[in-house]
Amino acid sequence: MSEQIPGNDLLVVDRIETFIGQFHILENVSVCVPKGSITVMLGRNGAGKTTTLKSIIGLTPPREGKIIFDGMEIQGKQAFNIANLGIGYVPENRAIFRALSVQENLKLAERKKGDFERKSDFIFELFPDLKRLYKLPGNHLSGGQQQMLAVARALVPENKLLLIDEPSEGLAPILIQQMMEAIRKLSETTTILLVEQNFIMASQLAERYTIIDDGKTVQEGLMKDLIEDTDLIHHYLGASIKTRKELEMEHESEN
Amino acid sequence: MNPKTKKLLIGILIAGLLVAAVAGVYAYAGQRAFISTLFSGLTLGSLFFMVAAGLTLIFGLMDVLNFAHGSMFMLGAYIGWQFYTNPTFIFGMAPFLLAFGAGVMVTPIIKPYLIALNISEKLQKALPKIAYVLALAALVFAFVGFDILSVANTAMVAATTTTVGNPLAELSAQEPLSTFWLRPFLMFVSGLLIAVASSRPGDKTQFAPREPIGKKLLMPAALLVLTALSTLVRESASESVLLMNGNLRFALSILLSVAFGFVFGAVIEITLIRPLYVRPTFILLMTLGLSYVIRELVQYLWDPLTYQMSRPPLFAQPGKASSIAEWLQKGSSTIDIYGATVPTYRLFIIALGIAMFILVIFVMTKTRLGMIIRAGVQDPQMVEAMGINVKAVFTVVFAMGVALAALGGIGAAPFLPVQPLMGDTYQTQGLITVVIGGMGSYIGAFVGAMILGMARAFGDYFALKLSLSPAIAEASTVIIMVIVLLTRPQGLFGKKE
Repeated sequence: MSEQIPGNDLLVVDRIETFIGQFHILENVSVCVPKGSITVMLGRNGAGKTTTLKSIIGLTPPREGKIIFDGMEIQGKQAFNIANLGIGYVPENRAIFRALSVQENLKLAERKKGDFERKSDFIFELFPDLKRLYKLPGNHLSGGQQQMLAVARALVPENKLLLIDEPSEGLAPILIQQMMEAIRKLSETTTILLVEQNFIMASQLAERYTIIDDGKTVQEGLMKDLIEDTDLIHHYLGASIKTRKELEMEHESEN
Repeated sequence: MNPKTKKLLIGILIAGLLVAAVAGVYAYAGQRAFISTLFSGLTLGSLFFMVAAGLTLIFGLMDVLNFAHGSMFMLGAYIGWQFYTNPTFIFGMAPFLLAFGAGVMVTPIIKPYLIALNISEKLQKALPKIAYVLALAALVFAFVGFDILSVANTAMVAATTTTVGNPLAELSAQEPLSTFWLRPFLMFVSGLLIAVASSRPGDKTQFAPREPIGKKLLMPAALLVLTALSTLVRESASESVLLMNGNLRFALSILLSVAFGFVFGAVIEITLIRPLYVRPTFILLMTLGLSYVIRELVQYLWDPLTYQMSRPPLFAQPGKASSIAEWLQKGSSTIDIYGATVPTYRLFIIALGIAMFILVIFVMTKTRLGMIIRAGVQDPQMVEAMGINVKAVFTVVFAMGVALAALGGIGAAPFLPVQPLMGDTYQTQGLITVVIGGMGSYIGAFVGAMILGMARAFGDYFALKLSLSPAIAEASTVIIMVIVLLTRPQGLFGKKE
C-alpha cells in the first residue's frame, strides 16, 4: 500500500488492537506518518480514529501490535513518558482546562522551564486572539478561541509530532480557514497526524490519508489519488452527508 | 426577574439576616460572652478546617474520600506529642525507618540498569515476588528480639509521671551497639530489595533514561548518614531534645509531625490506594479499615489511655496578659480581648488555621503544582498526555493532605486530650464541612469550617444559657448540612457537575 521509503517514517502504527473495557474498539489499525508530512485519518463517526490517537499517546494502550515513534517502540509505556518523547496531543472537543487562565493553560504545557517564553511569539503570531485573552479564564473563551488554545498548548514544548483531533469541529467557516492556515504553517516545522471529518479541510491540508472503518485500516495512500476516487470517498465517508454535499459543491465550482 | 438580580436579592437577604442575627446575639449575650464565644467558634472552625482542607484536596483531585483522615490527624498528634514530651520512641524507631528509606531511595539509581536486563519472561514475573518476600523476611528479622513496647512504654511512663526530675531516669538500658547495628542494616537491605522489586527488572515497557546519578545519590546518601547518626545517638538524643527550649521543641514537633504525615501519606498512597483506583468503592472500605488499623496500633503502643500534652511555655504561664506584646513577653496562658478572657493557645490555633488557608491558596493559585492540581481535577488524562506524571502528582497531593491532617493533630494536641479516638469527631465534622463548602473547594472548606465552628460555639452557649440539651450544638451542624444540601446540593462553593 505504502510507497514510502522505510526509515523515513516518524511514526509507524503497526496492526494495533485496543480494548476499552470489554469493547474491542481497534481490531487492526496501521498508520504510517512520514517525517515532515501531514497525514489525515478519515472515517465515519465511531470508526476508531480518536481511539487510535489515544492509543498512540498511551491513554488507551493497545493490547496487541507495535507503535514505533522515532525508531523506538512506545506501546505500553505510560502516557506522560510518551508525550515527553516529543508528541503533542490536541484532543477533540477543545479539552482545555477551563478552571485555568489562558496563560496558565499555556504555562502548564511547558516541559522545560522557559518553553513558553521561547515559543510565545510564534504562538501569538499564529493565534493573535490568545494574546488579547491572555489573562482570561478558559471558561470565558468562545468555542473557536478554546480550540485555538488547545492547539497552541501543544506548540509550547518542542514536539516532533502533533496529534490533532478534529480541529474544525463546531467552528465557524472563517475560523476553519484560520485554523487551516495555522496547521499549514505548523507543518513546516512539525510532522502532523490529523483526524478530520471535514473532507474539504482534510483534502487541502494533507499529503497522505488513512481510512479507518470499524476499527480497521482499510485504505491508505496519497491524498491526490483519493480526491479522484469519489467511489471510495462515498463508500467509507458517505455517512457525513454534509461533507459529500460540500465536496460536490466544490467540484461544481471548480469545473 | 433575571437570575442575576434574583441572586443579588437573595444575597442581600442572607447578609441582612446574618447581620441581624449577629446583632441580636451580641445584644442578648453582652460583649464579653459574645467575644469569648466568637473566639471558641474561630478555634473550632480552624480545627475543622485543618481536617477538611486535606479531605477536600484529596477528594477534589482523586475522588478519594479518605475515611482514615481522622486517624491520621490523631497519629499526627501522637507523633508530635511524643517528640515534645518524651522522644525516646521517636529516636528508638528512627534508625529503622531511616535505613529502610535509604534502601528504597536507591530505586531511581538502579532502575535504569535493572530494566535493561535481558531476562526471560518467567523470571521477570518471579523476580519481584521473590524480592518482596525476601524484603519482608529482612524486615521481620530486623525486629526480632526488639522490644518495641518497652521503647514506647518508657515514653508513656515518662509522660504520665511529672516532669519533675529527669523523665528518662527510669529507662532500662538499651541494646548495645555491637548487636543493634544489625537491625538498621537489615532494614536497609529490606529497602533495597523493595527497590529491586518495584523496579520490575527486565520489564522494557518502563521508561527510565540513564541520567547522571549525581543528584539521585543525594537522597539515599543523606538518609544513610542520618541512619548512622541516629543509631549512635539513639539514647542521648532524647535527653538533649528535652533540654531544649520548650517553644523550640514544640516548633520541632510540628515540623516532625508534618514531615511524618507527608511520608506516611505518600507510603499509603503508593502501597494501598494506587492499586485500587479502578475500584473506588474498595478505596472507601480500605481507608475505613486503615483507620481501625492505625487506631489499634496506637492503642497497642501507648495503651488506650488519655494523655494531656502540656502547652509550650509561650502559652503556659498563669496570668492574664492585657496585650499581645505582654503575652509574647510573659507567655501568659490567657489574654484579655475587649473584656473577654481568651486562652492564648486558642489564638495560636486560629493563626495556624488561617496560615494553612493562606498556604493552600498560595499553593493552588501561584505554583505549578497548584496549576496541575486544578487542571487534573477537570481532566487528569489530558494532564498526563501533556507529559506530566499524574500518578506522582496524586501521591504528592495525598501526602500533602495527610500532612495537613497531621499538622492539625499536633496543633490541637495541647488543646485536646490526646487519645486514640480524638480524630473521630473531627473526621465527621470535617466531612460535614466539605459537604457544606462543596466537594473539592478549599475556599468552601474554610467558609464551611468557620460556619460549623460558630454553630458549635454559639449552640453550646445557648444550650448552657437556656438550659437546653448540649446535643443541640452538635445537631446544629448536621441541620446546617441538611439545609445546604436542600438548597444548594453542590455545596456553597461547589461546582455543578
